[in-house]
Amino acid sequence: MQRSVIFELIRYCLVLIALFFAMIPVFWMISMAFKPIAEWTASGADLTWWPKAPTLDNFRFIFGQNTNALIVELERTAGRAILASLLSSVIGTLIAMVVGTSAAYGLSRYNYGKNLPLALIQLRLFPPLAVMIPVMIMWTFLNLVDTWWGLSLIYGIVTLPFSFWLMKTYFDEMPKEIEEAALVEGCSRFRVFTRITLPMMAGPLASSALLVFILNWSDYLIALMLTTREWVTIPVYMASLSSSMTGQLYGAKAALGLIAAIPPVIFGIAIQKHLVRGLTFGALKQ
Amino acid sequence: MASIVFENVTKAFGDTLAVDNVSFEIKDNEFFCFFGPPLSGKTTILRLMLGLDSPDSGDIYIDGQKVTQLGAAERNMAMVFQNLALFPHMTALDNIRFPLVERRIPEPQIRAKVEEASDKLHIKHILHKPPAQLSGGERQRVAIARALVRDPVAYLMDDPISALDARLREETRVELKRIQREIGHTLVYVTHDQEEAMSVADRMAILKDGHVEQIGTPIEIYDQPANSYVAALLGAPRINLFNVEEHGKTWTAGDGLLDLQSENVPLGTKRIGLRPENLKIRDRSDKDLGEPAQVVSVEPLGGFTVVSVARKDNANEVFRAMLRGQPQIDVGTEVALGWDPSSMLFFDEGDRAISI
Repeated sequence: MQRSVIFELIRYCLVLIALFFAMIPVFWMISMAFKPIAEWTASGADLTWWPKAPTLDNFRFIFGQNTNALIVELERTAGRAILASLLSSVIGTLIAMVVGTSAAYGLSRYNYGKNLPLALIQLRLFPPLAVMIPVMIMWTFLNLVDTWWGLSLIYGIVTLPFSFWLMKTYFDEMPKEIEEAALVEGCSRFRVFTRITLPMMAGPLASSALLVFILNWSDYLIALMLTTREWVTIPVYMASLSSSMTGQLYGAKAALGLIAAIPPVIFGIAIQKHLVRGLTFGALKQ
Repeated sequence: MASIVFENVTKAFGDTLAVDNVSFEIKDNEFFCFFGPPLSGKTTILRLMLGLDSPDSGDIYIDGQKVTQLGAAERNMAMVFQNLALFPHMTALDNIRFPLVERRIPEPQIRAKVEEASDKLHIKHILHKPPAQLSGGERQRVAIARALVRDPVAYLMDDPISALDARLREETRVELKRIQREIGHTLVYVTHDQEEAMSVADRMAILKDGHVEQIGTPIEIYDQPANSYVAALLGAPRINLFNVEEHGKTWTAGDGLLDLQSENVPLGTKRIGLRPENLKIRDRSDKDLGEPAQVVSVEPLGGFTVVSVARKDNANEVFRAMLRGQPQIDVGTEVALGWDPSSMLFFDEGDRAISI
């Protein structure tokens, strides 16, 4: 009894230590977002966990309201970058999910296209850079560079293998008798898909979409190569937040990072129910 | 309310012949059982009937109409799957309503039908729960109710009560039989349990490796099996099969335990079958010429006792007799075997039954 209590205590301590290290960067970002410029690079005795003089200047700055404390003038504001990120990530995720789910369902249920799954993953076999150069040339010819639709399209394409493979695993695991029961009860193939399969797959669809969204949302390389001015996304915009006078604008970056963390968190909370719920439990006898 | 006919139906999956040139007729309003060991083609036959698979060759008729090319939705059959296949994202009620809603039946009728079915199966109190919160028996009932609400041409059930414990299984199969009588529909039932098959079926088909070995009423098949495979499949304890041995002019069977001299054994008999209830154990007397047999085990089962015997000096095979009541027999006793000659079954070289 005594022993197990001590054991539990040690376990919790270890978890706390791990959590501490994992959370420090996040904490630091939050803290930094509210620090005035003077505290950004403070060291020694000036270094504090919490901002000494909390301010919203960093947020004001990235949205174009220049305060005296920040010397640089921004060429464009973060609002545009947030819009670019939201548009391209959401549409890219939709493309990947719709195409990936359809392909996965078809390949899981019908006996065709046995080699397609491997072909789909080929894009991922090469280093991203090797793939991106030809894509960049193509996109230039197609006039897709620095457009939200060009970026959405490439996001949809590069994350398609993820949504496809994830959904295929789930479709393969789903007992075919459930669909057949619906067929016998008078449903058409399409109706089986919409009435039975999709509702049953709500959890897997939501969790795959979250993964794909996060991949798109945090992409840097593709956006860097395929956008120039108008549709620069958050990560690229964030990297550009520096000046020759003051160096890296840490506070501004942290403020933007804090904003950038919001959509995935909201998405995650919204689908939390699906993330935990079992897939087909109770449908079949064990 | 329909007859179902298979005409030379064959279905292969890759290199395996799941159903091999099968023909049979299931009559209207019949409780028809398919019985056979695992992988004998039972489930495939049901799937072909349902239209979930289509045959490689041969034709399927429902009420004289050729339906070979029709899909599952057009055949209007109801099915209880082996794993039940309830829809996990719906409550029990919505599961049962599903076939009616899909067929656009008016709401008042749906209610009445669901009411009736859930009454019959005693599941009214669990209708609001999703399948995940139901016990095995409750799920089974919900699945059966889902099949019952409709007015299909036939009900198909693939081993639907195998997950229940023995007592519940017995109850459910009696109930199924009663419900089938009440609603008077054709019911095709697949099972791997011989007792279940024999107790519920009006007629049954015995399957082996995708072939139909025999079709008939349970009693016909039990009393006149077409071959030794069928004979061994039905009945518990299983039938005793004795190899016939020829020693010059004398004939014996079963390690020399049965003296066939005086019996009327038809020509070409290679094996003899004797059901355990027809095999008698008697005291060995001086008149017995055959080899002595010895009791190897006694299993008292209450109403009857299963006694296993084998040749004393050379026990290759064990034969079992089912005796009424609880006779006092000790293991190791030397005994002789007796039988009623009219209950003997004879099998030829190909293990086919020889009729007399």
